[in-house]
Amino acid sequence: MIVVHVRGQGNNRLDEHASEVWFGRLDARAKLAGVFAFIVVSAILTRAELVFASLAVALTMTVVSMLPLAHLAKMYLAALPFILLASVSVFLFGGWERGIQMWARTSACVLPLLVLAAGTESFDLFSGLRRFRVPAIITTLLMLTQRYIQLLSEELARMILARKARGFTEGRSLLDWYGLRIISYTAGMVLVRSIGRGDRIYEGLKGKGFNGELMPWKKSHITVLDTSFVSSLVIVAGVLLTLQLGVVQ
Amino acid sequence: MHIPDGLMDPTVSAIGWIEFLVVLGAVLLLAGNRIKEKNLPRVAVLSAGIFVAQMINFPIGGGTTGHLIGGALFAIIAGPMVAIIGMTVVLLIQALMFGDGGITALGLNALNMAVIAPLTGWGVYTLLKTMTEKGGRRSSVAGGFVVGAAAWASVFVAAAACAAELAVSYAVSSGAYGIAATVSVPAMLGMYAVIGVGEGIITAGVLAYLWSVLPDAITSASPTRKVLPGLRELICGNTARAVVAIIVVFALALPLYFLYASAGKDGLEKTMENANVAEGEPPLASPFSYGQDYFSALFAGLLGFLSVALVALGIMKLVRMRGSRGTNP
Repeated sequence: MIVVHVRGQGNNRLDEHASEVWFGRLDARAKLAGVFAFIVVSAILTRAELVFASLAVALTMTVVSMLPLAHLAKMYLAALPFILLASVSVFLFGGWERGIQMWARTSACVLPLLVLAAGTESFDLFSGLRRFRVPAIITTLLMLTQRYIQLLSEELARMILARKARGFTEGRSLLDWYGLRIISYTAGMVLVRSIGRGDRIYEGLKGKGFNGELMPWKKSHITVLDTSFVSSLVIVAGVLLTLQLGVVQ
Repeated sequence: MHIPDGLMDPTVSAIGWIEFLVVLGAVLLLAGNRIKEKNLPRVAVLSAGIFVAQMINFPIGGGTTGHLIGGALFAIIAGPMVAIIGMTVVLLIQALMFGDGGITALGLNALNMAVIAPLTGWGVYTLLKTMTEKGGRRSSVAGGFVVGAAAWASVFVAAAACAAELAVSYAVSSGAYGIAATVSVPAMLGMYAVIGVGEGIITAGVLAYLWSVLPDAITSASPTRKVLPGLRELICGNTARAVVAIIVVFALALPLYFLYASAGKDGLEKTMENANVAEGEPPLASPFSYGQDYFSALFAGLLGFLSVALVALGIMKLVRMRGSRGTNP
């Protein structure tokens, strides 16, 4: 009951795709272990052929996950500025081959993380972290913060709409003091409302027996599909690492 | 400022993770009990508030926008320890739920935005606040300036750390990772010097609003704190804590600095070599040396850093004691 209260009864907008696809139904621990292992290995690859092989695996995972590609592309675009800055810089100083390799390596790491983010319900993800012995204080804060973010985002959207309805337009530069004052008051109001709301929610949680730690919201078991998923990613990561280190030529 | 996976040299990423885990472990040990149970939802709600405040863009000029980082704001509202934990939670949510920032790069991202930004912001705020207060009072303009300067410094120093990490990655990997210093340093510092101005104005505005509407929300402010006698004030005083916060920020740079350090001769040594002048035997030999490998140099550096910091704190204390004797007849 406590956890349902924190998790919220309705569907989270961020998790809307997670329950629709097979990837979303995998155990969070399997997803975390497999994806993290693959990302850590992909991040240290320097041989061009291995970097492109890891990108091919990441792209395959993206397609096979059955998550909406448009949604993932939007998330990828948000990470693109930093990837491009690095790739263009390497291109200018080390030639086009190195520049493309930098883009491929960062993309091979970013894509599985986006699949993990879009294909896992937030509370499953945090429960998985707790089961991996991440301190309770951190996982509980993650769960509560995630819940509050939904509430405050809706609050912010309403405030911005009200602001627009009163004719406010965001200024054009840092010299627009009026615009900046309104923006800072909006941010201040978000904090004031969040503090008030936090206190009320705390009282509600306490009334339901909250003792500082949130337990996983549902039971889950490792299935054959979970094991296959982790094994395949760990095997691929292991092969890439072995080739990178030159253990096998 | 979120660094994605695959951009940083693995050694630099590993150092980032180790430093972040050491800092987080120490903070959980020191402040974990303070934020348990009753404060847990409040810290969570502040983290969510900062996360949502980061979604509000402000205009910079030329059609571009920036957004709040919030490290200084969080630290001034809730104190540096709580801010480190809260900002860590914000970054974890951004990485795991939005793919913003990476897993191998999380250590460095957290170091920049969850440790360096709040510590710098809080340290600068506390030091400037002490300097601008006269008889325990401060004008609202001076208050706004202090908050703005602290927020600007937090963004600028975090950006400088990020630029340095990118440059070190590039240098130690011979260009396989990171971004060359000639690109990363001017690009990051130039961009964030301007974004920092926006951060400063917004942070000052938010805190002015909070002071007028809900002053109880700013839990880090403790105007009634007693001045402790002697050594206890030196260790526990707010000024000393702020100095320690700034020192920690500099200490965090040491492992990367030693990774980047050149083994070549310095200017004087090179001149002596060119002039064929040999170094004579010193009358007194030091029992310490800088060491030959990375870890011994790092250990010597940390030891030297701590010694200099302690001596500086001692001198500060002596100067303050002499000053207070001079003013009280």
